[in-house]
Amino acid sequence: MDEMEEILEDFLVEAFEMIEQLDNDLIELENAPDDLDLLNRIFRVAHTIKGSSSFLNFDVLTHLTHHMEDVLNKARKGELSITPDIMDVVLESTDKMKALLEHIKETGSDQGAIDVAPTVKRLEAVLNGETCDSADSEPQKEPEPQEEQKDISEMSEEEVEAEIERLLAQRQEEDRKRREAKKAAEAAGKEAPKSEEKDLSEMSEEEVEAEIERLLAQRQEEDRKRREAKKAAEAEAKKVAEAAKEAPKSEAKPAPAKKETKPAPKERKTTVEQTIRVDVKRLDDLMNLIGELVLGKNRLLKIYDDVEERYEGEQFLEELNQVVSSVSLVTTDLQIAVMKTRMLPIGKVFNKFPRMVRDLSRELHKEIELVISGEETELDKSIVEEIGDPLVHIIRNSCDHGIERPEERIAKGKPPKGTVQLKAYNEGNHIIIEIVDDGKGLDPDMLKSKAMEKGLISEKEADQMSDKEAYMLIFKPGFSTAAQVTNVSGRGVGMDVVRSNIEKLNGIIEIDSEVDKGTTLKLKIPLTLAIIQSLLVSVQEEYYAIPLASVLETVRITPDEIQSVEGRSVLRLRDEVLSLVHLADLFDVERVFSMGEHAYVVIIGIAETKIGLIVDSLIGQEEVVIKSLGEYLKGIEGIAGATIRGDGRVTLIVDVGALMDMAKSVKSSMENLEDTAAVSEKNSPADYNILIVDDSKTDRSIMKKALEPLGVTISEATNGVEALNLMKDGSKSFDAVLVDIEMPRMDGYTLAAEIRKFNKFKNVPLIAVTSRTSRSDRMRGVEVGMTEYITKPYTPEYLTNVVARNINLNVEHTS
Amino acid sequence: MNNQLEQVLKKQQQQQHAPQEGEIENVIQLVGFMVGDEEFAVPILGIQEIIKPIEYTRAPKTPPYVLGVFNLRGSVLPLIDLRMKFGLSKSKENEDTRYMVIKHNDEVAGFVIDRLTQATRIKESAIDPAPETLNDEQNLIYGVGKQKDKLISILNVEALLKRDF
Repeated sequence: MDEMEEILEDFLVEAFEMIEQLDNDLIELENAPDDLDLLNRIFRVAHTIKGSSSFLNFDVLTHLTHHMEDVLNKARKGELSITPDIMDVVLESTDKMKALLEHIKETGSDQGAIDVAPTVKRLEAVLNGETCDSADSEPQKEPEPQEEQKDISEMSEEEVEAEIERLLAQRQEEDRKRREAKKAAEAAGKEAPKSEEKDLSEMSEEEVEAEIERLLAQRQEEDRKRREAKKAAEAEAKKVAEAAKEAPKSEAKPAPAKKETKPAPKERKTTVEQTIRVDVKRLDDLMNLIGELVLGKNRLLKIYDDVEERYEGEQFLEELNQVVSSVSLVTTDLQIAVMKTRMLPIGKVFNKFPRMVRDLSRELHKEIELVISGEETELDKSIVEEIGDPLVHIIRNSCDHGIERPEERIAKGKPPKGTVQLKAYNEGNHIIIEIVDDGKGLDPDMLKSKAMEKGLISEKEADQMSDKEAYMLIFKPGFSTAAQVTNVSGRGVGMDVVRSNIEKLNGIIEIDSEVDKGTTLKLKIPLTLAIIQSLLVSVQEEYYAIPLASVLETVRITPDEIQSVEGRSVLRLRDEVLSLVHLADLFDVERVFSMGEHAYVVIIGIAETKIGLIVDSLIGQEEVVIKSLGEYLKGIEGIAGATIRGDGRVTLIVDVGALMDMAKSVKSSMENLEDTAAVSEKNSPADYNILIVDDSKTDRSIMKKALEPLGVTISEATNGVEALNLMKDGSKSFDAVLVDIEMPRMDGYTLAAEIRKFNKFKNVPLIAVTSRTSRSDRMRGVEVGMTEYITKPYTPEYLTNVVARNINLNVEHTS
Repeated sequence: MNNQLEQVLKKQQQQQHAPQEGEIENVIQLVGFMVGDEEFAVPILGIQEIIKPIEYTRAPKTPPYVLGVFNLRGSVLPLIDLRMKFGLSKSKENEDTRYMVIKHNDEVAGFVIDRLTQATRIKESAIDPAPETLNDEQNLIYGVGKQKDKLISILNVEALLKRDF
């Protein structure tokens, strides 16, 4: 049964591909009813599907396609002219066909779900009784040889032999019945190839030839009969289909012989492109691997920079440079190449619109022409899949609300036929899709009053609104401008879904309109979902990436520019009042550092709502590759994903929409920076912790010795980095730190500056112990936050006194 | 053609039968490690790799035991502190600390452990189901392995990787 499933799968893929083209061809056909090529192409689709489906035993589908085929065949021969009414029937049956195929795809059977009887009846009516269609007896065989050949190779000699024996008996039985019934009809075509096999195993080439001659004659005879008994054919076809299912198994030898007798299905060959079907998952895997490669490349570049600095002018640098740049070039090319494999032409989506617009215009009694351009523009597969629904809504809207009725249009001095243009083109890293109609346009005042009526905006808001903002009102949930709710649109849902769908793709919508001239809707969508432009910001020690598409602007503020209204922070920006929220509050970032002199506000917005996000600093703009957080962390509030930056660290990407929701419920704690560190009780000198930071062991010993009389607990660190880690680690809270200035890795000044960044270390005494005695050194010490400055050499007593004074005086942290 | 097929089939059958005949008892290979003062183990097949601690990024809006996410050769994986998950204080990183990357089906996550102990083989018969009292609602303990001188709690890999927030 496995091979049957394989065949079924092939059949479905092929059928869906053909149907996609079919719709467009049909629409085209209506405009050019005499185009024989077109008719032939359409006929072939119906025909091929019929052939394959009868082979696969889908009776309902066969029944339907058979009738379609008859009608089309008649048209093809010029006995029937294609009128819109006939076209309606044909289109209806195409829809049924699609529905059946969908059903087969899901359930593996075409039974039960869809009633084709009425459609078949209408097709029959069109057909007007019996007609001659000798043409279909011959081509019917076409699909078979293909399928037959598929399986041969998988069978052993013996199996074939046995199968033939079995089939032979079965078929002879059938043959007899059939001849008696004299209504072989369809069966003849189907049966013929099988009859050949009867004896093939025992036959020579010549005998086969002769047998074929005989069968051919027989079939022609039967064909004639069949035409007389056409109606009765269906029942028999079913039976035959069953037999046909078995047939492929026995087709080992006759394959070459048959090719001589039957015309090869060459029509199909001409349309086949040179492609390979690849599972999308494989492409995704490939993309992941490339991502890792890119990461490796970035690190290589970084290391090269370091090496270059250290070994300036050395011979090997030049070679290394060449290797690094060629690796980076190839990696970038590879990344682009793989991304391209995921690209699909947007025509895949556009294809269904001609049909839709045709149906709509008939339904709405309007004359609408859809002009498509740029369908070859390519987009990432995942976006192509998402973009379909929003476009359907937009185009429906244009047809329903935009384009006027012919009378109206004539009265306005426009041609009676309205035009909807659908354009796609590239612009930088984005693709632009434009939907332009020459209809009645949007009236900003009408939109505003409508929105007020529905309570979506206040009068004040309406007054301040620009025309562009007014156009955007149509994307508000619950907004519908159609006076009358029609079948097509005006249910008040749709356009807001459009907006949210486009935003999900990180896209932007723009509307431009002029009353009585028409409306232009512009969708700007990134080429791929996997890579986005982002603004990197930092909050305390953490970095976050904000999708640049949602960033409106950034401003630098001082803390006193932040005002408070009803317990919320707000910022007056030009003539607007913007509500503010600190990113640290949203993400519960620990406030280890105090706010600097300046803060930055990133103004993020989705459509009309915007808020200001306070961050500590802006890092810059960067193109980031989006990675999923996986099942375990999926859907954390406010986080859309993660990315890996050049240094190998993970940076989280914020979800702007969710962030704006979160902002509503978060209270600002901007000023809660009071030092709340509990001062633990100090009972004995040993409760005091002193940290000595010096790279020289001798110096540390000297200081330790000097402090011994105090009886305090002493910790040591050999450089700034170690000291900082020790302090951050928090296992001990230090009451004073003795700092040498000149140390490897991080010197004393830097260490002091770093320590002072932490809120909790604001008041820890930092005592510089150094041989640097110049005034500028002292000044610098004060600047970075040193409390005392002891110059070497010093007497132990002096050091003891200074330390004792500092810790004694500062027990309450009141320096 | 048929002969060949038969041979292949025979061979397959033999292969299918062979292990059954040769099998005496199921042995599970475990990797033991310390979390706090207690020794735990997970089946070796559940472990993708064990790495030394690397930098991680805090993930907001998660329980405290989810330390954040880290980059394992291009994949972003969650990092979970087993000490905190078991109700102990946060791990202090030292040179014995390891990230154990555990995989079940498509789910992967890193777990912070204090120290690796050893890999052991244990017969399935020597594993008792977790005692009722120990069996909390999360089902984290798969069973208790009896060894000569000690007991090891064997963790349920699937439950470890289950999101419970």
